[in-house]
Amino acid sequence: MSYFNIEKQIQLLKQKFNNCVDFAYRIYQKQDKKIGLIYLKSIIDQSLLSEAIYLPMQTVKQIEDFNNLKNIIKCADVKITQKENMVKDILDGKVIVLTDFSKQILAVDLLKFPTRTPSEPPTSPVIQGPREGFVEDLQTNITLLRRRIKSENLVLDVVKVGSETQTKVCITYLEGVANKKIIKKVKEKISQIKIDGIIDSYYILSFLEDRPNSLFKQIGNSEKPDIVASKLLEGRVAIIVDNSPIVLTVPFVFIEDLQNSNDYYTNHHYSSFVRAIRLLGILIAVVAPGFYLALELFHYSILPLNFLITIADTTQGLPFTPFLEILFIFLLFQILYEVSLRLPSYLGLATSVVGALILGDTGVKAGLISPPGVIIVALAKIALYTIPEESSQITVLQFLFIILGGSLGLTGLVAGIVYIINYLNVIDSFGTPYLAPYSPRIASDLKDGIFTEPVTKMKGLPKSFSPNKKERS
Amino acid sequence: MKDTISIRQVGVLMILCIFANKILLLPSLMYETSKADSLWIILFLFAIDLLVLTLIFKLKTIYPTTKLYDILQNKIGKILTKFIYLILLVFFMFKALLVFSVTYVYFKHQIYIQDLIWIALISCLPVINHAVMCGVRGFSRTMELFIGIILTGFIACLAFSLFTPISMPYFFVAPVKDLLGSCYRHIFAFGDYIFLLLIIDKIEFKRGDFKRIYKYAFSGIILMLLLFFLFYSKYQVTAFMHNNALADLLVFSVEFNAVGRLDIIAMLTILFITLFQLEIFCYGFCESIRGIFPLLKKFYATITFDIIFGLLYYIFIGKFEIMVAFTSHYLPILAIVVNYTLPILILIIYLIDMRKVKKNCENVYISQDEISKSNQNTNLSSDESNVALSNQDQAGSEHGDKQKENSLSEKASTLNNQSGLKGGEYEIKD
Repeated sequence: MSYFNIEKQIQLLKQKFNNCVDFAYRIYQKQDKKIGLIYLKSIIDQSLLSEAIYLPMQTVKQIEDFNNLKNIIKCADVKITQKENMVKDILDGKVIVLTDFSKQILAVDLLKFPTRTPSEPPTSPVIQGPREGFVEDLQTNITLLRRRIKSENLVLDVVKVGSETQTKVCITYLEGVANKKIIKKVKEKISQIKIDGIIDSYYILSFLEDRPNSLFKQIGNSEKPDIVASKLLEGRVAIIVDNSPIVLTVPFVFIEDLQNSNDYYTNHHYSSFVRAIRLLGILIAVVAPGFYLALELFHYSILPLNFLITIADTTQGLPFTPFLEILFIFLLFQILYEVSLRLPSYLGLATSVVGALILGDTGVKAGLISPPGVIIVALAKIALYTIPEESSQITVLQFLFIILGGSLGLTGLVAGIVYIINYLNVIDSFGTPYLAPYSPRIASDLKDGIFTEPVTKMKGLPKSFSPNKKERS
Repeated sequence: MKDTISIRQVGVLMILCIFANKILLLPSLMYETSKADSLWIILFLFAIDLLVLTLIFKLKTIYPTTKLYDILQNKIGKILTKFIYLILLVFFMFKALLVFSVTYVYFKHQIYIQDLIWIALISCLPVINHAVMCGVRGFSRTMELFIGIILTGFIACLAFSLFTPISMPYFFVAPVKDLLGSCYRHIFAFGDYIFLLLIIDKIEFKRGDFKRIYKYAFSGIILMLLLFFLFYSKYQVTAFMHNNALADLLVFSVEFNAVGRLDIIAMLTILFITLFQLEIFCYGFCESIRGIFPLLKKFYATITFDIIFGLLYYIFIGKFEIMVAFTSHYLPILAIVVNYTLPILILIIYLIDMRKVKKNCENVYISQDEISKSNQNTNLSSDESNVALSNQDQAGSEHGDKQKENSLSEKASTLNNQSGLKGGEYEIKD
């Protein structure tokens, strides 16, 4: 009795895959038995295919039955699959083994993508501490986490998202540590995603955010397994997306962006100092151009006399008003930044020279822009990168504060700051106040705030997102 | 989001309320009539404010989650409650107007040098409207974050004033009549704790929090007294000429060594304080108007605030002289109604309810005995027997009379909450 017409099945599958170029098959005839192998050659390990299937098939003289065939295949991951799952299995990098003497179908997992080895991520350079970074392969990323958390409590739930891409999304947390409500909410939100494809973890981000229209980031992200592991230990939930080296973490609080993995590998006094500098950097980045404009336009009497004379000397005879001048320099810097991002590195240097020397210096000499204006905007732009993770948000805020300072003066600036903080105070990331532990003040969490304490004193887990466990033990 | 606030946040609101209307114009106005003896007046008025504060939190122990509107409606009826809310509405509106206009006058003369009212209005109104829309939790969190900066700025102003020569002001020079007159005239600048009545249901309060409440209140009061004292010490007989107390403390210290101008500290501190006070008063106004018109949405309440604020500013407050005359002649009457009549009403409600609570507690004792007896004889459902047991525990506690009274009142209010009754109405079932 013939269970499968192998040639017909292969033809059907080939049609389903639209005769694509990487669709491959092979038919073996062993005495009166026919065996068909179907796979996509672009996503399987070809050498393993030869070793695990072809070679044993060629050497064996006779295949008695299906169990015998199963034993012949020299591969650990061999499963029996259903006819209706064949397409899915082929897409998952499995070799489908069809026979005409059994109704059962085998799926042999030989998936292999080209992957890069874990290396130091370009977005998070390391001074001290581990230099590994996540890669695009989910399995490798899981391995990197497993290597750091050797606990049976580490849960890795994989779901597939995207009707076309069928991207694997892995929800990771520590059972008994992470808050169950947060886990439930993450799972619910991911299960509700209706999209054709997930290309990168950022696609998922907007589905997870409570306020997707907000300017401010509400989901944490990292490329470093040591950071993600430490967040998991604190009771957070991580979302690893296949094909993305960026791992998302929830809940996210603003202070996380002031923290850096280097802080935990150096002296805590130095870490506190550096964090305070980062906070100052944000303040300068956001407010400095607007504040300078407010003083120049409305409150010049506040300026110390020496400074006032310098400004008056340098701004005399400028064709633009101070407001337009600062706006012009700001836009110039922004254009240069965008250009340098997109140009190949060998052209980057040329743009810097043209931008900084020719445009800046000549602009000042030609009397189009003033040196204090250039210095203030440059200072704000440099300060922006004390926290590169927040640079996009801060750039928008810079622009808003230039408008506020230029049109409403000091009152406008203060009102803008209060407005933004008010807004941030109503944002909750998975039930966690965005500005915790400072607003609302959670005293125990301040140990890992701007002024840090040694790791030996951080005995409790952060209370701001109510983890199930209270103590690190 | 649950719109409740912690005791720390209440403390921050209290400190900002204490600063309201007192840090700029009031010290010089008071000096004009009662010289340095104004300090005794503010001490006296703060003492009354503390009594009001105690009363508010005593009421909170009886009604842990009940709104002021519901408490009043239960006791004095709907119409009178709405009338009280109307008075509160006017009170908060004028408080906001006064804070705004005094700060604006300071900014007009010191910073903008020209009349740019539209700048002040455009800067303030959207921010305070947004804060009100965020709810009391949202803006109190913001205030909690900024209180450190505000207090640092405030204390810095006080500290830098010490770098210029000061001398002890002369006390006991103003006649009692002037003191009483001044007390009446400036009463409107006090009594800001009434705001807490409006958010009484939103405060997360435990019995042990009384200590913390007083700590915050005293911190604020001490800072205010220091401001008055240093201001009078610095300017002595010319104090009535300086209309911006906190900022004027820095007048002769503005070029401090090589640091440059220091008055920026006062400016920023005053700006932050003013904005936060406006948020508080705008919230008070919106809560009051929503008490009168329960169907009115928050957004429309804030719009109403903006319109009335703008109109009243031009009618009454826009001119400095009119503002001073208005505040010293008409607003004291409003202040007496809100600061003293309303607390007296609250006191009466509190006393009546305490009597009821005491009576009910006696009933609770009797019913507990009966429950325990019947427990021995019959099988009660687990919930009922739990209640009975917890009642027995409470009855068995050997504390002082007052403590027992408090705990029983809380128990009674818990029973009320369980049975869905409003505060003050207790029903004990055998």
